[in-house]
Formats: sequence, C-alpha cells, structure tokens
Amino acid sequence: MSAIAWFLETEGLQTTGISLVREHTASLKPPRFLWTSFPLGRPLGKPNDAAFQHRVIDAALDLLDRPEGPVLEDFPEDLPDPPDVQAVCPIHFARPQAAPGSWQQRLTVELSLTSPWYELSRQRRGRTTFGVAKAPIEALVARLAHAIDQPPVEPADLAALKYALEDLKTYYQEAITAQPGHPDFRLLQQIVWRQTELGRAMLALYDRFAAHPDARLRGFARGIAPRGESGHDPAQTT
Amino acid sequence: MVRLADLPEHDREHLLGKPMDPLGPTPFVANQRPMGERRLALITTAGLHHRDDDPFRLMDSSYRVIPGDSRGDELVMSHSSVNFDRNGFQDDLNVVFPIDRFRERVDRGQLGSLADQHVSFMGSLLQPAMLEASSRQLAGLLKQDGVDTVFLTPV
Repeated sequence: MSAIAWFLETEGLQTTGISLVREHTASLKPPRFLWTSFPLGRPLGKPNDAAFQHRVIDAALDLLDRPEGPVLEDFPEDLPDPPDVQAVCPIHFARPQAAPGSWQQRLTVELSLTSPWYELSRQRRGRTTFGVAKAPIEALVARLAHAIDQPPVEPADLAALKYALEDLKTYYQEAITAQPGHPDFRLLQQIVWRQTELGRAMLALYDRFAAHPDARLRGFARGIAPRGESGHDPAQTT
Repeated sequence: MVRLADLPEHDREHLLGKPMDPLGPTPFVANQRPMGERRLALITTAGLHHRDDDPFRLMDSSYRVIPGDSRGDELVMSHSSVNFDRNGFQDDLNVVFPIDRFRERVDRGQLGSLADQHVSFMGSLLQPAMLEASSRQLAGLLKQDGVDTVFLTPV
C-alpha cells in the first residue's frame, strides 16, 4: 500500500492513509501515513463505532497539511483488550468422536447446525460477505470434502477450492457471530479451527497438501490455514 | 491492542521477512486546497470487489473498481491471505473501507466531494515494483475524474 501511495504521489495526487505495519512503512518511506496499533484486518479500529473511525480519519487527513515528508505519525489511541468475560459460541458443535463418517457426511451434519445461525446473522446485519466462490454452500462443502480425497491440480480448480475455503470460513464466522456481543475475533478463530468439523477438514486438507509431492499443492497449503493453526497441536483440539 | 512486537513469533517473522527497500526519494505534493474543496478517492488493499466481479487471484497486481454508490451488501473480500481478521469487515464494511464515514463528511461540508469510483487492490505477496504499472494507470483515471486526494487503507 505504501508503494501505491508513492506511485500516485509521483503522478501529482496527494495521498494519506493508515499503516498497520509500521516497520514496512518506515522502510518504504511513502509521503504520509498514520500508523495505528490495531489488529491486521481492522485499519479503522472499531466496527460500528463511527465516532472512533472519524477520529482515525481526522488524524490521517491532518497529515495533508504537513509542509514536508515523509511523515509517519502514530495514532495515540489503542484498542482496549477484550473483556475478561468470554462470550459463548451459540452453536453446539459436535466433538470429533461423536461424528463418525466421511468428511462429506460430517460437514453436512454440521452445516445443518450452522445454517440457522447464518440466516440469523444475515437478517441482523442486513448483509453477508459470503459469495466469493459464486456457489451455494452445499456445493462448497462437497468441493472441500472431495479435495481431501482427490486433490485438484489444475490452476482453475485450485483457485475454485481457495474461494470455497474462504466462503466456508466466512459462512461459519458470520453464523458464530450472529448475535450481538459475540466472541471476539481471536476466540472466533479458535472456535472455527479447533471446535468444528470444518476446521478439522481444512487441517486435514492442509496436512494432505503440505506433504504432497506436487509443489503447487505444497504452495497452496500455505493459503489454507493461519500460521498459528497449521502447526496445530492436536492436544488443544476440543 | 496489537503491535508487531505483540504478534506470535511466526507472524512477526513473516512480516519482517518481507523485503521493503525504499523506492527512492519520497515524492511530496504540498497541500494546495482546503478539505472543503477537495475531491477524494478511497483505495483499499483489502481485496474487496463487487459480488459479480472476478475475485482476486494469488499474486494479483490488478485492481477492481468500486463504484461510488456501492452498498455494503454488494461487496465481498477475496484477499488470499489467511493471516488477518475478517470478522471486523463482516460486522462493518467501514472498519476496512470507510466509505460511509467519508459520505458523512461530504454531507457535513467537511469534504468537497467523493470520486465517482473507488478502487481495491489485494496487498499481499507483491513486491512494490509489481504495483507500478497499475498504480500509474489508476492515477490517470482518478485525475480524469477530478480527484486530487487519495485516502489509502490496508488490511
């Protein structure tokens, strides 16, 4: 992003914005950025808090008045740590031993638990961010289950699998956070990866691809699971 | 609160391992007009696009146009990285792409106008030089629209 600002400014446009990785911005030296300490994925800090978001924008726009650059300024506010009281996942996902069968069967059973909460989320939020893969959720479940047994190798099929994985995670995340006061994003990630059949299926896919002789699949594996989950400790799985 | 030093070691090492050499002397356009006279475009590197657009692919340096009248329920995210939080975006588009906040500023007279079109890249795995051609082409399109100011958000 620093590079885009750098190129646009050389074309005569005045740029400002938000940096989340201070070290990168300091090294690339774009004209102006405001560094915030917010988590990756949340450059404006707080969802549904217009006043807070405006304070961030104010601070970034103020940099346009500086007489010279590069300017890299720190936003003075941090986000508060999550509350000590943990919100509870509304969906009672089955433990692994309680759900024998093929991946297709296990994921289909779990989908029947998840779908009502996804629909509730859609109603409450008035939108969904599901839809990158342009296919119904049942088809995405089938695509994942099939890929564990028979990994695709064609680039178009791998791309379709990647979009399926992202949509499946989106579907689950929106379902789990369907109610206000939902689990914070750190807990949400743990629930998806360690408590669901979807998480177990995606880790099975990761294990299969990471050990595959085809270098394309080994490369693909890095885009399946977050770095903290792909080296998962089975003892932490609930 | 999250700072690089607070991230798990594997995330910290991954981010610091990316080569980020300076691009050269910093270009710098001096402020020439008050906010109330500016026309502003938003650029995000969150891999956003309209639901019907082609999703981003791995190592994709192209961009997607986001029409200025886009609604939150029309936008999805196909960023390739799995190492950032997406639930903030699921809760509120503006935490990634603050289009409603800037519309409010125009309504209040705090900003002259918003561009007819905004833009999304996917900022992952790309070396800065890979973004040069698309960024320079984009600059031409923005200037044709009368844009003089760009607000960039990462993800």
